[in-house]
Amino acid sequence: MIKTYASQLWTFMKSLKLTIVLLSLLMILVVLCTLAQVEMGTVGAVNAYMRSFIVWNQPLLLRIPFPGAALVGLLLTINLAGRTLELKRTWAKAGMWLVHTGLVVLFAGEFVAGMMQVDTNMSIEVGQTVNYVQSYKNMELAVIDVTDPNWDEVYSVPDTLLARGGAITIPGTPITLNVKRYFPNAELSNLAPGAPPSLATAGVGTGASVIERPVVSADNEMNQTSAFVEVAAGGRSYGTWLTSVAIGAPQSFMHEGHTYVLTMRLRRQYLPYAFTLKQFRHDVYPGTDIPKNFSSLVQVVNPSQKESREVLIYMNQPLRYEGKTFYQASFGKNDTLSVLSVVENPGWLLPYVSCVLVALGLLVHFAIVLRRSLKRRQDKQGELT
Amino acid sequence: MLNPPNPLHRPSLWPFWAPVIVMIGAGLLGSTLGCNSEQIAHYRVPKEAPAAPSGPRPAMPPMPMGENTGAPDPSGAQTPNMPAPAAAQGALKWSLPKGWSEAPGGGAMRFATFKAPFAGKLEATVVVLPGPAGGELANVNRWRGQIALPPLDEAGLAKSRTTQKSKAGTVNVYDFTSDGQVKSRMIAGYIATPDGNTWFLKLTGDADPVAKAKPDFMTILGSLHLD
Repeated sequence: MIKTYASQLWTFMKSLKLTIVLLSLLMILVVLCTLAQVEMGTVGAVNAYMRSFIVWNQPLLLRIPFPGAALVGLLLTINLAGRTLELKRTWAKAGMWLVHTGLVVLFAGEFVAGMMQVDTNMSIEVGQTVNYVQSYKNMELAVIDVTDPNWDEVYSVPDTLLARGGAITIPGTPITLNVKRYFPNAELSNLAPGAPPSLATAGVGTGASVIERPVVSADNEMNQTSAFVEVAAGGRSYGTWLTSVAIGAPQSFMHEGHTYVLTMRLRRQYLPYAFTLKQFRHDVYPGTDIPKNFSSLVQVVNPSQKESREVLIYMNQPLRYEGKTFYQASFGKNDTLSVLSVVENPGWLLPYVSCVLVALGLLVHFAIVLRRSLKRRQDKQGELT
Repeated sequence: MLNPPNPLHRPSLWPFWAPVIVMIGAGLLGSTLGCNSEQIAHYRVPKEAPAAPSGPRPAMPPMPMGENTGAPDPSGAQTPNMPAPAAAQGALKWSLPKGWSEAPGGGAMRFATFKAPFAGKLEATVVVLPGPAGGELANVNRWRGQIALPPLDEAGLAKSRTTQKSKAGTVNVYDFTSDGQVKSRMIAGYIATPDGNTWFLKLTGDADPVAKAKPDFMTILGSLHLD
């Protein structure tokens, strides 16, 4: 009985009708995602429509649940795999096998990218050396032990952990953070006379009032993530601090001879190597303001590899280094600041493999059909003569 | 000769396993990635250069290349509500005792950093803020909070205060030591200048080196004069 149902399900999963339905759904999702980018920004729209299994609560869909591109892609992959397995295992079908396998690899590559790709950026000013990349949207509360004159011990508490609230023990330190309130986005202002006192009892937040704001995801907006956090160490409370990306100056306290700095900022990933920006070029066509070229000349220094070399990163010519790809993305500060978009995608090779397989498959298939056709013509000529 | 494939038999093994394996694999991958994004990460990194423009202030998402969206520069925005450092003109001046050296800046909001000729954890800094900077009581309590001491009221503030005469005026001096096994000590001089700025000169660190450096630090406070 179960086997019958399973067999029917499998027949449905590999049917051409399902292929057409799924491709239609993908087309609809692409249109919706494109329209949604106006309000939600690129990352927000892609996450809502393309990287989710179900699209929830979207105004464009009248808040009706709709299959997301991740689900459609998964079903399409299974559908394609089913169709591939239908093919006869003969040399005559070798080309079709290669083409289908190439398409499955392409789909798998998108799944790997969707689940494992990490998009960050690196902002460097001319002459500055930077050894970290930072997220576009995700935040961290960095607790930094700055006691050592040469090194900083950085403990990064991700915003997702802060959002849960409650006590957070920081491993390797005597510090416990008790998150009293967390605001994914907020507006800070000076505490008005007569207003209720701030939750903060220490630091600059004692004179600030915090108003929660809706979360933003548009490309040119940034959430002012904030939190009231009580800091305790060694059984003593160091008061409740307001930490926010809107507060530029770091706040510090001392415990048992160690100085700790608290700062809310975009989430960083430190690298075992560093980039120094030696030169940034913003060339224009003569007599116009139309950009011709953007390029960053960086010195890559990697002590573990005993490597120090110059690399020129320019439009469509990224640097692939240690699993990350650094693209020239933006600039600022009168052309003295370069922003590199940094992409880490373990499956970056899969689309290339897919293209090679599909191209090879089509060539093989063409050769097989051509050979068969020539043979038929030869046989026909033989019959006539 | 190759055996012909048996399409009726072969795919029958797949309905149970293919989707299940794919779904479980995707689920495990997703949950693994989800867990990683919620863990506290630890890095040991070289100190950043003091003038690093992307220090505590996060970069805005970059605008598309070549397109002016009107968004602020990625790391050049002035922090809201934070006062700008005072201009060099009309600034407070001081004389350093033998063995002491000075570097401009040294961190966010700092006007100068002193290096003292004493071993151990010790730091002397000069910070200048426009206006009363929240008032003396609030600032003193903020410093006390940094070494886990309870806040003072106005009476407690007056009791803790000593003074040091200088050519720039009277400097209010506070000296606090923390509890705990390794005691931290903080000596702070507080003075308002005629241009409306408030200056903080702080000596902080472990109790022993701060005690050794205190006489020199008091000499610095006594040497304060206007430019």
